[in-house]
Amino acid sequence: MNNIIEVKDLVKKYKEVKAIDNLSFEVHEGEILGLLGPNGSGKSTTINCILSLLNFSKGSIKIFGKEMKPDAYDIKAKIGVVFQDVAVFDELTVYENIDYFCGLYIKDKEVRKQYVEDAINLVGLEEFKKFYPKKLSGGLLRRLNIACGISHKPKLIFLDEPTVAVDPQSRNNILDGIKKLRDDGATIVYTTHYMEEVEILCDRVIILDKGKVLATGTTDELKELAKIEEKVTVEVNDIDPKYIEEVKKLKNVDDVIYTNNVLLITYKKGKNNLVDMIDYLKKESINYNKIYSERPTLNDVFLELTGKELRD
Amino acid sequence: MFRHNFKYALKTLFRNKTLIFWTFAFPIILGTFFNMAFSNIESSEKLSIIDIAIIENDEFKNNEIFKSVFENLSDENNKDRLFSTTYTSEDEAKQLLENKDIIGYLKIENNNPKVVFTTNGIDQTIFKYVTEEVTQTSEIIKNLSEEKIKQAISSGNFNVNYEEIYNRIVELTQNQDVELNNISNKKISYTMIEFYTLIAMACLYGGILGVVAINQNLANMSSKGKRVSVAPTSKIKVIVSSVLASYITQLIGIAILFVYTIFVLKVDYGDNLGLIICLAMAGSLAGLSMGTFVGTVFKANENAKTGIIISVTMLGCFLSGMMGITMKYIVDKNMPIINKLNPASMITDGFYSLYYYDTLDRYIFNIVSLLVFAFILITISYISIRRQKYDSI
Repeated sequence: MNNIIEVKDLVKKYKEVKAIDNLSFEVHEGEILGLLGPNGSGKSTTINCILSLLNFSKGSIKIFGKEMKPDAYDIKAKIGVVFQDVAVFDELTVYENIDYFCGLYIKDKEVRKQYVEDAINLVGLEEFKKFYPKKLSGGLLRRLNIACGISHKPKLIFLDEPTVAVDPQSRNNILDGIKKLRDDGATIVYTTHYMEEVEILCDRVIILDKGKVLATGTTDELKELAKIEEKVTVEVNDIDPKYIEEVKKLKNVDDVIYTNNVLLITYKKGKNNLVDMIDYLKKESINYNKIYSERPTLNDVFLELTGKELRD
Repeated sequence: MFRHNFKYALKTLFRNKTLIFWTFAFPIILGTFFNMAFSNIESSEKLSIIDIAIIENDEFKNNEIFKSVFENLSDENNKDRLFSTTYTSEDEAKQLLENKDIIGYLKIENNNPKVVFTTNGIDQTIFKYVTEEVTQTSEIIKNLSEEKIKQAISSGNFNVNYEEIYNRIVELTQNQDVELNNISNKKISYTMIEFYTLIAMACLYGGILGVVAINQNLANMSSKGKRVSVAPTSKIKVIVSSVLASYITQLIGIAILFVYTIFVLKVDYGDNLGLIICLAMAGSLAGLSMGTFVGTVFKANENAKTGIIISVTMLGCFLSGMMGITMKYIVDKNMPIINKLNPASMITDGFYSLYYYDTLDRYIFNIVSLLVFAFILITISYISIRRQKYDSI
């Protein structure tokens, strides 16, 4: 399997604070790699170092097998970047914005014209070509931001939290577009703190915290790291504390947390835990509004590894 | 790539309403206000002819100095003409005064010139002032030897400076303390200084365009700059094309301002249009360099940097006489180094020297000063821009 990016022992310090601490990882050709971590975990800093925008204290970065440098134009020509902040010109229309940024990579006017149209179609902005960015909604603006970053059909794409503050329709559109880019052969590095997106999109995930890699693997592999097997949530109107103590003693139950009329029961192992719980509630005549079961999420993995929530 | 970036840089500049206001509209609006405000002052400089009478008795007829001065100041062909004089008897003069056909009359009696008015006003003050001036001149001549007096009178060569009298009167009417016209044969127009500083201001506002060119292309200044920085293009090439677009936009703005002031406001910048354009181009370059300097050296958002450019420009224009020529005079007299380093003053002084001096020495000095100013700031900007990676963005 070809490594498109190789990061080795990367250290980035802001004065005495280590923003990235001996970070090493690879990105394989054709995959979507998710960089998952809370705000301030070093995701954007890592990308900026890889792109040679930021100085770093130690380590090495190779892209397409070559050392990445600010003047490595041959490497840069194959990279597309969608930054977290929307980076478009308010004075240019949707079409002109994409054409401008595409023109920094593609000189041939005819080829560029086709590429711009393709990018517009990919993000679903066909009806808004002549619109100025100020006339676009937040979601459409994010789509334009993506189109500006990928219109030149790069082989390696960095997407830094592209769905922040986006409506569900635009989010689905963006995620579909990213899958299509991967299907067309692009390798994608996707940073986010939305674990649902990672689960939908990413072939592999690196969980970052405080500039360090906490865990790497597929989402299923990572979930194995969580010590729990199942979570059952019960929304009750009221419950006598004695029942909480009793639930803790039930078969397979690892822990019970009761907050705001919600009973969260975690199980380390076992089958039919949900059915057993429903039977128990019925037997004790405890009224409840809702009961459901969940498999562990990446947030549980993160909680397990760091002792804190991913979105803290 | 250069052309591609240049084309889009021009588009973004011309569609940016804030930029267009400051670089195109604001100088025109300010120029219009100047014109409205100062046209009154200009017209007041052109003094109206004052109707007076002189009692034509023997003493007046024998007083060559008074005769000559009032004939001269009443001559229709004299550009400094002040009076329309009626030579008459005292009774008739009284009648004319009563009928308000004249504002007063002069009578010389026992070697004592006397002016008679019925009311007070600026015209009466002028009449009185001229009479006193001539009386003083007469007193000086009295102290000369009889032979020299005869020589002077016979040759009409006594020392009366009509222009000085006229200019002093202009000053009296304007209550201005600053004397500007003692360095040239040409008479100063206060409005001209205002328009020179206006052009200087418009040139230096090019700095705002310079800030935009830098901010949009540097990764540590904007997200758009980050996007440009990760593209496979030379950062310097992109910035040079953006700065060139800014410079051209700036020159178009200056050209529009010139056309507007010359053809609509009827401002006379004098001859040497080619040299005027050269100065405006050098001034615009200085303004642009100020923008690139502020853009690269200060890490702040675009609005804050625009604020710095506007503040520095307005201060520079203030010191070079935009809000009153007195300030230029005070700075030139007490702290000349300030205006030597002030680009607004370099531009203003360049126009001024072009208009008032026959030689180009001072003009060239100002042009060279502006180019040196621009070169230094562009060099500092270049050194700063050359950095390829940043410690933080």
